[in-house]
Formats: sequence, C-alpha cells, structure tokens
Amino acid sequence: MYENTKLIELKNISKSFGDTQVLKNVDIYIRRKEFVTLLGPSGCGKTTMLRIIGGFEFPDEGEVLFDGKDIQSLPPYRRRVNTVFQKYALFTHLNVYDNIAFGLKLKKPEELLPNEKKITRRKIKAEIDRRVKRMLKLVKMEAYEKRSVDALSGGQQQRIAIARALVNEPEVLLLDEPLGALDLKLRKEMQVELKSMQQQLGITFIYVTHDQEEALTMSDTIVVMNGGKIQQIGDGKSIYDEPKNAFVANFIGDSNILSGVMLKDFEVECAGHRFECVDEGFAENESVDVVVRPEDVMVVGSDVGMLVGEVESVFFKGVHYEMKVNTGDFTWKVHSTTMHPAGSRVGLSIVPSNIHIMRRMEAEG
Amino acid sequence: MKRLFKYLKGTYLGLLLLLLYSPIAVMIVLSFNQSKSRANFSWGGLKWYYELFYESPEIIEALKLTLTVAILATIISIVLGTLGAIGIHACKKGYATMLMNLSYLPMTMPDIVTGVSLMLMFVFVNTYVYFPRGFVTMLIAHITFDTPYVLFSVMPKLKQMNPNAYEAALDLGCRPMKAIVKVILPEISPGIVTGGLLAFTMSLDDFVISFFTSESNNLSMLVYAAAKRGVEPTIYALSTLIFIAILILLIIINKRSDLESIS
Ligand SMILES: Nc1ncnc2c1ncn2[C@@H]1O[C@H](COP(=O)(O)OP(=O)(O)OP(=O)(O)O)[C@@H](O)[C@H]1O
Ligand SMILES: [Mg+2]
Repeated sequence: MYENTKLIELKNISKSFGDTQVLKNVDIYIRRKEFVTLLGPSGCGKTTMLRIIGGFEFPDEGEVLFDGKDIQSLPPYRRRVNTVFQKYALFTHLNVYDNIAFGLKLKKPEELLPNEKKITRRKIKAEIDRRVKRMLKLVKMEAYEKRSVDALSGGQQQRIAIARALVNEPEVLLLDEPLGALDLKLRKEMQVELKSMQQQLGITFIYVTHDQEEALTMSDTIVVMNGGKIQQIGDGKSIYDEPKNAFVANFIGDSNILSGVMLKDFEVECAGHRFECVDEGFAENESVDVVVRPEDVMVVGSDVGMLVGEVESVFFKGVHYEMKVNTGDFTWKVHSTTMHPAGSRVGLSIVPSNIHIMRRMEAEG
Repeated sequence: MKRLFKYLKGTYLGLLLLLLYSPIAVMIVLSFNQSKSRANFSWGGLKWYYELFYESPEIIEALKLTLTVAILATIISIVLGTLGAIGIHACKKGYATMLMNLSYLPMTMPDIVTGVSLMLMFVFVNTYVYFPRGFVTMLIAHITFDTPYVLFSVMPKLKQMNPNAYEAALDLGCRPMKAIVKVILPEISPGIVTGGLLAFTMSLDDFVISFFTSESNNLSMLVYAAAKRGVEPTIYALSTLIFIAILILLIIINKRSDLESIS
C-alpha cells in the first residue's frame, strides 16, 4: 500500500471566482502511492481542486506543496503530474495512437531510454511504440490505434484519455470523473483495471467522482466535500460507519437521519422512542442528528419491535427489498431480505451500536 | 393553379439568373470576338488573350502587383488574424465581445469610407516622413481589410475546440508556444485556410480601397482607367480571367465549408 510520506499538501486553500467562493480553507495531504478520492455533489469544487494541483488554477490563499516544496510558481509542464480531464480533451487532429504518443514524443531521449548508451532515432521510435502499444492493450483499445478520435464513443474516448495520461508514468495522476461516460458493466471493469494499474505502477491517484459506490470500492482515502468545504477525510469504512455529520451520512449510502435529543450518556430520544446507544460526551438534552443505516433496521414481529409501523411501499432491489415503514413520528427506510407487503404492520428493532449520534450540522456551520 | 405557380417560380428564377449573368456572358463572348466591334461577332479565337499577355506590358505589370499584394496581404493577415483570434478567445467574455464587435465594424463599413480614411492617414504620415502612395500603402490597406476575414473564420474553430485541449498539451509537457503550434494551430487549421482563401479573394478583386491608397495600378484600377479611354477587347479577356479565378476560389471556399459542416 502507500508509503507514509506526504507527497502533496494543500494548506488552507481558498479560491473564488468573482463573488462565489468555490473552495473554503481546504486542508489535505496526500501520501505517496495513495489512492485518494474527492467525493461530493456537482459544483462542490472537486474539479477546481484538481486544477489547482495540476497548475491550471491559482488559489487566492494558501499553499500547494509537492514533496515539501511550494510548487505554486511551477507551470503545468514542469509538474510531475498528469491529468485526465473531465471532458477528455483529446486532440482531434491526431489519431488514437498519436494522442497517446503525444507526451512521450516530448520527453527527452535519455528520459525515455535511461539504460541505453547509444540512443538512436530508431530506438526512440521503438520505445515509444512499445509503451503506446502496452497502454492500448491496458485500456483494451488495440484494434483502434489508427482511428480518428472523433469516430470513438464517449467511453472509448475516456479510455484513450486515461491511456494518454498514464503512458507518461507520472508520479501523480489526476483523474476527473474518468469513468463517467461508461456503462455500468464497463465501469466496474475499468474500476478494477485502474485500481490494479495504480498498484502495479505505484502511482499516486487523485480521483474525482460523485459516485459514492465507486469511491468506496477504489479508494484508500475518501475526501467528502460539499460547498467548497471538506466534510470528512478517512478510509471508506470509517466514513461509512462513522459519518461525521448528516451530510456525509446522507451522501455515503442511504440513511435514516432523524433529529433527536441526547437525554443522557448512552440514551437518545428520537422518533418518539428512547433508544439505548453507545455515544457519550454530549450535554444533557443536547439536540443531535441521529443516523441509522437502512440495513441496520431489523424487521421483527409487530409484537416484539421497539417501534411498530405500517409498510408504505416495497421495492425489490435485486438482493433485498427496500421498504418505507411509517411509525407515526418518522418514515424509516428499511432494507430487508424478507418481503412484507404494503399495508402490513411490522415491528422495527435497532441494536445500540448501529445508532450513530452526530452533533448538529448548524453547530459546525 | 399549382402548375401555374411552379411555372411562375421557374420563370422568375430564370429571369433573375439571366439578369445576373447575362452581362458576364456577353463579356466572355466578346472576349473571343474577331474585331473590336461590339455590334457583330465572329470567332477570333484567343486573339485578345494573346495580345493581353504578349503585347500589353502595363496589364502584366498590374497583374504582378495584384498577385504580389494579394499573396503578401493574405500571409500577413493570416498571421495577424490567427494570433488575434487566439488572443480574443483567451479574453474574458465581455472584453472578447467588445473586441469582436470592434473587428466586425470595418467589415461592414463601406469600402469608400475605409479607402478615404486610409488615404488620409497615408497622406498625413507623408507630410512628416517620406511615405509615397504605392506598393507599401496598398499592401497595408489590404492587410487592414483582410485580417477580419481571417479572424472571423478562425474564431468558430477556436470555440469548437475542447476547452481543455490547450491545457492538456501543457499537461503533457508542452511549453505555451509549443502547445499553440502543436495543438491549437492544427485544431483550427481548417478555419485558417478558409480565412486565407477569403482574404486572397478580397484582395484580388479590390478596387475602391486600392484606388484611394495607391498610385500604382492593380488590375481593377487598370480596367477602370482603360474604361475611361474606351474599352479594348483585351480588357474583356482580362476580366474573363479574373471572373474565372474568383469563381474557382469561391467554389473551393464553398466546398470547404460544406465539408466542415458535414464533419
Ligand atoms: N472558471 C470559472 N469561472 C467561474 N466560475 C467557475 C469557474 N470554474 C468553476 N466555477 C464554479 O465553481 C464551482 C465549482 O466548480 P467545479 O468545477 O470545481 O465543481 P465540481 O465539483 O467539479 O462539479 P462537477 O461534479 O459538476 O464536475 C461551480 O459553481 C462552478 O460554476
Ligand atoms: Mg468537475
């Protein structure tokens, strides 16, 4: 996995376009060989953050460090970083092969052939050809090398864009929603491919997506953003299991989010019921957000449940049924492997460790 | 009723085309006449064309001037127009719109206004430094009215280009100048060629602006001067050749824009 050294550091970065502040005091670091995902809704500033790292945008405030050195004055062509742009940005005057070879042709010969004593034009050409062919194979586009990029589908263009950046073997690869145009099946395949490429080549990936599932499956670290602010940084499991606030809880997976009152340590009241929980350290009667994952709500007989309610709707989702259960004070999202028809009365039960208490979002402002 | 309409439509179109092209047709026919008379026609072959090229030195002089000016003005306005377009494209939106409108204005201005104002400028400059009206002034004038054509042909290509293409080039290791040469220019080259052809056409057949800004004759000016003396059939031959040259250029330009709208 990744080494424990900070490769890139963003320190207190703020950025505005005109009157709108797009990034607010962003502070993160990225370790060597880490797979970091920036996750957040559209317009939250993900692309802007990548562009700052790539050198295409300058922060109004703050520092960008690479290997401990400030790189803000370095132009993009001097940064050891390559980008896969959100809209691919392929060169339409070049065919697939030449698009991928573009970066290699700009490299110094001794960079391309570090172990070669006598470098000839032919050897350079052969080396470029070898690397381009390997990339084409990696992205499964071998048959297309002579095609014009205009004649490719969106998904194919995306794969060429990935190949064009990756072929340069950068220290850091910035990927802006690189799989957005692919169908589900190909996307899953490419996720696995990208992840294994990242591990094989030992490249640091900074990956932008607004698909939480993609983030969870691929990343070492997920950075959840909203409205230009970082909401939470952590690995997938900790973000999923211990969301810091209601936004994160809601954005990562489905959630029941209720407002509640912390009666005392280990006891919270919400949805008209007192629940035992595992959280402490809140003020007495402090208002809190309570998060319960739909899969953590157990459906039991109506006589033994903590809560009793009526099933409002049922959808079959492949593995489980997704139900809405109204208990009077709240409508719960519930995932269950057994079917309960709409209109039937069921009991609901939640074990204490599955009840997550969070400080109110407003309080964090 | 329907038939009548169709008939009328056909007639109308026919009349219109006749009106437009009969003068040119007459001119072309007369350029092959045996005698100078405009009243009767007998086939004279390429007689006047022969005379045009071998016995009319001043016409050949004018032709040389016209071509030199057209070629140089085209090249220079391609450089200026393309760089200008890239610059305007990189500007903020409001500023870019203003610059575009400023560039558009000279195109809509009557030639006579452009011609007179350029003449005034050259005369004014000439009162301070020796700056006679001739080849150089004509060239400057042609560059002035050619450049917007290039600008407006290149601009749409820049707009069509992926907004990140230039950045992608930088990302892959190009310095800014190299990124322009290796990525932007190839991506907009169809626009540059179209603009260049338009500019060349404009230069070839310009009369008014050249008339005011130069004392050496280009082809149109020569024809004008000759017409005052009484038109020789060599002029018909010359005009026929100009017509054919312009026609070919326009067909090429149209073909190109057809091709582009398909792709
Ligand atoms: N060059 C710019 N000028 C003005 N506003 C901009 C510019 N670039 C981005 N913005 C604004 O900044 C905000 C954040 O944009 P950004 O592209 O970083 O979002 P994003 O998180 O990448 O969204 P998406 O998931 O839709 O790609 C948006 O409101 C956008 O309109
Ligand atoms: Mg984006």
